[in-house]
Amino acid sequence: MNQTANQASAVALGRKSLGQRMKDNWQLYALLLIPVVLTVVYKYIPMYGIQIAFRDFRASQGYLGSEWVWFKWFERFFTAPTFGRMIKNTILLSLYGLLWSFPIPIILSLCINQLRFNRYKRVVQTVLYAPHFISTMVICGMLRIFLSPSGGLINLLFGTSIDFLTQSSAFRTIYIASGIWQDAGWGCIIYLATLSNVDTSLYEAAKVDGASVFQRIMNVDVPALLPMAILNLIMSAGSLMNVGFEKVWLLQTDLNKATSDVIAVYVYQQGIENAKYSYSTAVGLFNTAINLILLFVVNKIASKTSDVDFV
Amino acid sequence: MSEVLIKNLKKVYDGGVTAVHDVNLHIADKEFIVLVGPSGCGKSTTLRMVAGLEEISGGELYIDGKLCNDVEPKDRDIAMVFQSYALYPHMTVYDNMAFALKLKKVPKDEIDKKVREVAEILDITQYLERKPKALSGGQRQRVAIGRAMVRDPKVFLMDEPLSNLDAKLRNQMRAEIIKLRQRINTTFMYVTHDQTEAMTLGDRIVIMKDGFVNQIGTPEEVFDKPVNLFVAGFIGMPVMNFFDGCKLLKEGDTYYAQIRNAKFKLDEFQQKALKQNGQQPCDIVAGIRPQHISVGSGELEATIEVNEMLGSEVNLHARSDKDEVVMVIPTVDLKTDVSMGAKVKFTTQPRLIQLFDKATGNNLVWYDKESADACAPVCKNYSF
Repeated sequence: MNQTANQASAVALGRKSLGQRMKDNWQLYALLLIPVVLTVVYKYIPMYGIQIAFRDFRASQGYLGSEWVWFKWFERFFTAPTFGRMIKNTILLSLYGLLWSFPIPIILSLCINQLRFNRYKRVVQTVLYAPHFISTMVICGMLRIFLSPSGGLINLLFGTSIDFLTQSSAFRTIYIASGIWQDAGWGCIIYLATLSNVDTSLYEAAKVDGASVFQRIMNVDVPALLPMAILNLIMSAGSLMNVGFEKVWLLQTDLNKATSDVIAVYVYQQGIENAKYSYSTAVGLFNTAINLILLFVVNKIASKTSDVDFV
Repeated sequence: MSEVLIKNLKKVYDGGVTAVHDVNLHIADKEFIVLVGPSGCGKSTTLRMVAGLEEISGGELYIDGKLCNDVEPKDRDIAMVFQSYALYPHMTVYDNMAFALKLKKVPKDEIDKKVREVAEILDITQYLERKPKALSGGQRQRVAIGRAMVRDPKVFLMDEPLSNLDAKLRNQMRAEIIKLRQRINTTFMYVTHDQTEAMTLGDRIVIMKDGFVNQIGTPEEVFDKPVNLFVAGFIGMPVMNFFDGCKLLKEGDTYYAQIRNAKFKLDEFQQKALKQNGQQPCDIVAGIRPQHISVGSGELEATIEVNEMLGSEVNLHARSDKDEVVMVIPTVDLKTDVSMGAKVKFTTQPRLIQLFDKATGNNLVWYDKESADACAPVCKNYSF
């Protein structure tokens, strides 16, 4: 009876049932199937393995055969002598990274958007994008050469012979500055696309209103970029604890560990090098849980301070 | 005083495309002038050059006696209302209206007084704290007008401000603009492609095509005295009927228009005008407005194809030889069978026939070569 009533109301509202819609648009649903299957296979099924964070996993006994140890690995991580340092390094590296790398693509896109000669604009964009396509491995190799105490570009420029990679105080600057150089150009693509959609009559209205170039940027461009910037901020906050393992690991030396020891490298060392699968899974899970909390907190703050709510 | 003087204004784009050719126009203080024409005719470009949003390629622009060719838009003392409203989406209605005054560093209490005063006039006081996205199209348009009004500009520029509104709202806003114009009494320059808007709003209308001004005149002039075929076809709804293959005849001193087999002796003023012009007999296109046709008797014949009853009047679409003829007949005057397929006789008064030179398309009576050569074409002003 209820079903009939629902169907009748759906028909009255001109809506079709899900089954009917799927039947009508089966080609689109068939296309959707591919990403859904990939997500389930690669993102959801592996979550079954999370349970080893709460077990003393032994490959010979399998997932279900391994003994339950509940929070033993978490406790061990929290009481590890390097725990404080790793958390601090991870958070600081992420926060500083966010602080510097987040606004630069925005500023860059605002500047590029002001360029009036299209050919020059395209050249600037291409030059800025190019470093993004260099692999992390090569970037780190280049950094080692640039920063080398014997004939490195930086030392040549400053007339010094400092081995920057052995200075723990220089690690964060090297990591963040190279990250900006590599990704700022790429990061501004999305902002440039947003700016290209701004109604040109807004600039003209501002011109007639008497706004200077800077005032036009502040009153037309920046508000237009704000939703996208907030979305990017939320996404970045969601991976605040995910400091890229590869780059840190490649730039790490024994002498800069005081600032380069981060959770991601620790998970790799414990899991792959020391084969402590349960322990590294627990550390990774902790990392993810913090990221998830941060994601919701930042979204909540963003939605309260602006009209934008994405999560 | 806030008059606008445009002398030989020209716009040539980088690719060599000329969008506006030698426009000459004098807009008097407190005059409401409407630029009208089809898409791509150069009307918006002309307006944007006056606003300072387009560089002037040639000619001179004076606002209030000051040469403004290279003056920044903010220093021209103009305000502009855009087709897309161009309201800053992140600002409230109040902030949108106050923005220009804030940039001018006007004291806060003065801004507040001005904004509230204008909001009161436009009946948008209740929306001052809302953002544009929370307003309807009509309300947004009022805000856009309000934003221009708070500046007390010398010249009010409007670029198709009603185009984004539906038909009902457009009629309503048109009436609002007429009322507004009476209240603020400043110089207006208004661009539209809608001839109804042009006819109802303008003191004078500038009709443009392909970057050229075709005629400048009052609504009555452009309707009754079109200088060429384009103006005659563009102004008026339904469009003027054109009869091809007609002739201007001269028998002795008397001129006649021959349409099909019917011969109309032209009116006295037409006779005088043609004589004054030394007009020789020639092939013409005759134009008759649908409202100027009467059915039931006459020298011409047509077959009714479509009959549109509109209540007070009936629109008849008929075929007369090769030409399609539209007739607008008041229902009270309808005494003949106008059902589909019926054959009707029709005629008009000779003084209402427009005579266009087949070769040039110019009106043999109203075209004024002197003003056209000066790129400010108006209809001929006879003093018989």
